[in-house]
Amino acid sequence: MVKTSRVILFCTTLLLHALLSFRAVAGERDSVTVGVERPVNSAFTFDLGSASILDTYLTPVKYTGLNVRAGYERMQAMKFSPERWVSQMDMGMEYQNVKNIPRNHVMHSLMAEYQWGMMHRWHIDCVQGLQLMAGGGARFRGGVIYNSGNSNNPVSAKIHLSANVQGMVVYNMRVGRLPVTFRYEATLPVIGVFFSPEYGQSFYEIYLGDRSGIVHCGWWGNRFDMRNLLTVDLHFGRTSLRLGYRGQIETSFVNNLNYRFFTHSAVVGISGEWLSLRPGGKSAERARIVSALY
Amino acid sequence: MNKIISCVAIGLLAFLGSCHDYEEYANDPYGNFDALWTIIDEHYCFFEYKNVDWEQVGQKYRAQVLPEMTGEELFDVCAQMLKELKDGHTNLISPWDVSRYWIWEQYPVNYDERIIDEYYLNYNYRQSSGIKYQILSNNIGYMYYGDFGTVIGEGNLDVILSYLASCDGLVIDVRDNGGGFLTNVERLVARFVTERVLAGYISHKTGPGHDEFSEPYAYYFDPADDTRIKFLKPVVILTNRASFSATNNFVSIMKSLPNVRVVGDTTGGGSGMPFTSELPNGWNVRFSACSILDPYGNETEFGTEPSEGYDIDMDEADMRVGRDTILETAFAAIDEMIATGVCRQAES
Repeated sequence: MVKTSRVILFCTTLLLHALLSFRAVAGERDSVTVGVERPVNSAFTFDLGSASILDTYLTPVKYTGLNVRAGYERMQAMKFSPERWVSQMDMGMEYQNVKNIPRNHVMHSLMAEYQWGMMHRWHIDCVQGLQLMAGGGARFRGGVIYNSGNSNNPVSAKIHLSANVQGMVVYNMRVGRLPVTFRYEATLPVIGVFFSPEYGQSFYEIYLGDRSGIVHCGWWGNRFDMRNLLTVDLHFGRTSLRLGYRGQIETSFVNNLNYRFFTHSAVVGISGEWLSLRPGGKSAERARIVSALY
Repeated sequence: MNKIISCVAIGLLAFLGSCHDYEEYANDPYGNFDALWTIIDEHYCFFEYKNVDWEQVGQKYRAQVLPEMTGEELFDVCAQMLKELKDGHTNLISPWDVSRYWIWEQYPVNYDERIIDEYYLNYNYRQSSGIKYQILSNNIGYMYYGDFGTVIGEGNLDVILSYLASCDGLVIDVRDNGGGFLTNVERLVARFVTERVLAGYISHKTGPGHDEFSEPYAYYFDPADDTRIKFLKPVVILTNRASFSATNNFVSIMKSLPNVRVVGDTTGGGSGMPFTSELPNGWNVRFSACSILDPYGNETEFGTEPSEGYDIDMDEADMRVGRDTILETAFAAIDEMIATGVCRQAES
């Protein structure tokens, strides 16, 4: 027990020392700055992989198949404290084409999502190029899953609005002469609201006006979602090639309806940083550039 | 430290709550049979109303399942089990067959399209939005709507009803109409009412238990916009046992209107709104999932009866001379409504 306490004390001291030293460094950087430019880091990505969907409103059978996604991500250091705070906007449209085990029925799923968040950033001085980020944000995700073989339950509508915690580890380094950025990001909705029909309720009944019990407070007791993103940006001049992996987990159990949605995809895309040049503006030549990611 | 551990533990427990287990059945005769039995057990809405002991039914038919039986043999066992529900909305759908329980096969047909076309319409009729219509020689309008699955256009309805506007009464023939979209029911009923009417009640299952239902929800239909053509004179609906599902719903609502009479045989029922599910081998199963009650709160799963005094079958002797007994009775019903001033009372 005493040994454990010592280890915890040591780790805490180390962490506090590290945090204080980052603050000092950041403060120094701000104090010598004449002007700060905050380039926008944009990335257009395309995902291709597998999907697995179980939605017992539609069928008790798990469907598996294809997942594709087109996405856009925008990151920028925040104006009020560019060294320490980063904003992120992420949006995407995805489509799943999944089949049952005998492969004689198809379900189509079309989802859209929009996420905005802000994260505090720590530069880890003891490891050159390493940054840690942690923060939170809001996320909307919605769409439909359509089962063409069903009669009065052909569609399962999905609407989820959530508050998330998110974290990121970024590591900039060189592989030979090539600058490379590794990133791991995890997003975890904590609480929110989402839509689910009742166990045997038809959308016709909802259309007629019976809307009780269809909006739910989402928390880890009835819903658990997570998104993991692992990317590597290979910097070829001003534009970078982004390669990676995206994994999504969505699960809910409400109104006795079970929903499980998983995707595993390879990510490919292009990314780059763009500065906003204002005609006649004070885009000082001596301005320091604070990147959100690189 | 203990607080942190407690919070993490609560979070993990909550996470486990959101990951709820579900049963995966094997794709073999027993797995498919059990999957079918469970789907019906957890979702079918008329066990109590029909007094079906599903547990006992399952035991009876599971004893007939064999590990080496063919798909066709398994299908026959499953189909026989589903017939115990006596439900026209319950079907097992395989690549080679659809199991069915069609109640109208046990009753007189009570409809001969040829008699109507030849002796009443003289093969001279109009057709729009799946509705066959004409003004008969006695100045009674006639509409035949054979499929609620055919979408009725509002503009088409305007054309039809303005064409029939000068008639003394209207016959809407829905014999052999096996149902379709409930939205068509609303669209059609809206042309025969001048104020919001109670259309019925709908109730759905809230869980897998046989008695887990929501409170019946009252739903209403509004009249069509003022710009639309309505028909507020006497109306008679013609029915037979093959008037099923959405048609039964239409009849049950129209029957509650003061200027409407229902003539013919009891409808085939089918008041349970069907959902679809599937078995591990890819067969679909359709079943009644939500119960829709008539405006008086009655179940109409086994049919809606004609208006009092108008329960009538086709007469063989009439048919031989080209007379439709049910249609002739409808003419008499319209005459009676005109004579008693039913519509004037309804409008006032």
